[in-house]
Amino acid sequence: MTASILNRIIAERPAHDGVLTVAGLGHRRAMPLAELHDRARAVAGALRRGGIGEGDRIGVLAANRIEWILLDLAALMLKAQTAGFEPGKFTPDAELVERYGLDQLYTDAPIPDGAPPAVRPIAEIARHADEDPPEIHAPLWEPEDCTTVKFTSGSTGVPKGLEATVASIDSSLRDVQGMFDHRPGDRLLVFLPLSLLQQRYWLYSALRWGHDLVVTTYQSVFAVMPAVEPTVVMAVPGFFDSARRHLEGRLADGVDAAKAAAELFGSRIRYLWTGSAPADPAMLRFFTEAGLPIFEGYGLNETCIATKNHPGAHREGSVGKALPGKEILIDADGVVCVRSDHPVNTAYTFAAPGESERMFKPGGLVRTGDLGHLDEDGYLYIHGRSDDVIVLDNGKKVVVRPIETRFRDTGAVAECVLYCRNQTGLVAVVSPHPGPVDRAAVAAALAAVNAGSEPDERISRVITADEPFTIDNGLLTSQFKPIRGRILERYRDRIADPKEGLHAR
Amino acid sequence: MPADLDTLAREQLAQVLRDRPDPATLDAGEDLAETYGLTSLNKVLFLTSLCRAADVGLERFTEDDLARMRTLGDVVEAMRPHADQKG
Repeated sequence: MTASILNRIIAERPAHDGVLTVAGLGHRRAMPLAELHDRARAVAGALRRGGIGEGDRIGVLAANRIEWILLDLAALMLKAQTAGFEPGKFTPDAELVERYGLDQLYTDAPIPDGAPPAVRPIAEIARHADEDPPEIHAPLWEPEDCTTVKFTSGSTGVPKGLEATVASIDSSLRDVQGMFDHRPGDRLLVFLPLSLLQQRYWLYSALRWGHDLVVTTYQSVFAVMPAVEPTVVMAVPGFFDSARRHLEGRLADGVDAAKAAAELFGSRIRYLWTGSAPADPAMLRFFTEAGLPIFEGYGLNETCIATKNHPGAHREGSVGKALPGKEILIDADGVVCVRSDHPVNTAYTFAAPGESERMFKPGGLVRTGDLGHLDEDGYLYIHGRSDDVIVLDNGKKVVVRPIETRFRDTGAVAECVLYCRNQTGLVAVVSPHPGPVDRAAVAAALAAVNAGSEPDERISRVITADEPFTIDNGLLTSQFKPIRGRILERYRDRIADPKEGLHAR
Repeated sequence: MPADLDTLAREQLAQVLRDRPDPATLDAGEDLAETYGLTSLNKVLFLTSLCRAADVGLERFTEDDLARMRTLGDVVEAMRPHADQKG
């Protein structure tokens, strides 16, 4: 059996020159990964003195910061499990500790009165990191052990919790490395929340393969990027859409494309990584033509990275071919299913009855709910989510995602979500761009989208949201995907009122 | 130092906004997020552009400073001491 990457990175102090930089507006701290390893051991020692050990679960509810990284590594060293909670979406109280069986919960949020002693300020971790590191004889993780609980975002209810196996993490790390060959001299930049396990993959990758890592926040990323000169930027399509708009503005001002790109991303970009949501083909083309190759992939929390375009195998319009440890199957309904040699898991740990059975099938298979097809060479194309299918009263199924994408890609709105509440026609709720709403542009976009649609797929009304969908107002996930249920909740009356909104002609 | 920081700030904000409004029409007292729909990402892009145009180092500001910049007027006031030093 191939040796575990996770076991290796916790057991071996790095001998390479890789550096971790944690940066934000007005602050930047860099440390060799070897020093990080020492500090993580010091934190592990302190946690162990506090009674944390194998099988315990440590919650982390904090923005991206060095203490998050130290806690994650320290937990791995003790064979304790982490549970990463997205900041702003959870409260560090007794209910959270109880619901997810946490032995400790570290947070940078204000600790409410009455919180149990298990809830601790994460600043404590920085003090522990300054102690002398003890020898940690880390117990070995077995392939089926789970290092962490990850939570699915996008639900209106209680997030589902999924424990991730060591074998699945090792397998993804190894497969990604095979495709992108990250190496000393590379500098990967991450800014999405570290509560997302995939963001922490790049930490594990840096420790194993000796490249640099920069961790920042989404509030700071545009300020940090040019200063830290990354070679790889990991982001969701919404981020690259914003970057593209900014760059187009600079080009319109007469700035040279290469100079504008370097002003924003620094001058060392090797490639850009995107996934987690459908990407606008025009955006992908823009970056490629600007000399910044961008590679789209596909995967869910439940499958981890399933397919990925990469320098050795890239086909425009697709989300790439299956990773070596994955197999893509399209079922009789056209739904994409992912089979993994090393599944993330075979059930949720925290979910309502029946939810695991809907997603996880026998044989390491996950039925994603997304519709798609494979071409003759094995490249996967995603058409839409089957749970985004609206069934009309005439029995016709409308896959709304492509229509929403077409509306968004007109450029008139930032996002579009479709509903069909009364079976009387599709109603769009659109997220406006910053600034005053250009009603004429929205009307023109509506006409253009309808002109290219089948009769059943035409939008009858458009409701412009009172404010753009954002993470802060709870209408986008941390990966910038619109949250259908919450948008519906907020605009339910206007969606149902046939007099509301801009009507199609 | 730029001759008129207020004008520069208006121009840079107008560029970040989708429909590129006339900079003179922007209200310096209005909330950037609520009135102009500026997201966190775009707010940093705006500040980045303004700092470049005003020749002020972005590293002078912290995330807390950014959070306090709720209006165009707040941004100009936060920038002014640093822009003055450049003069």
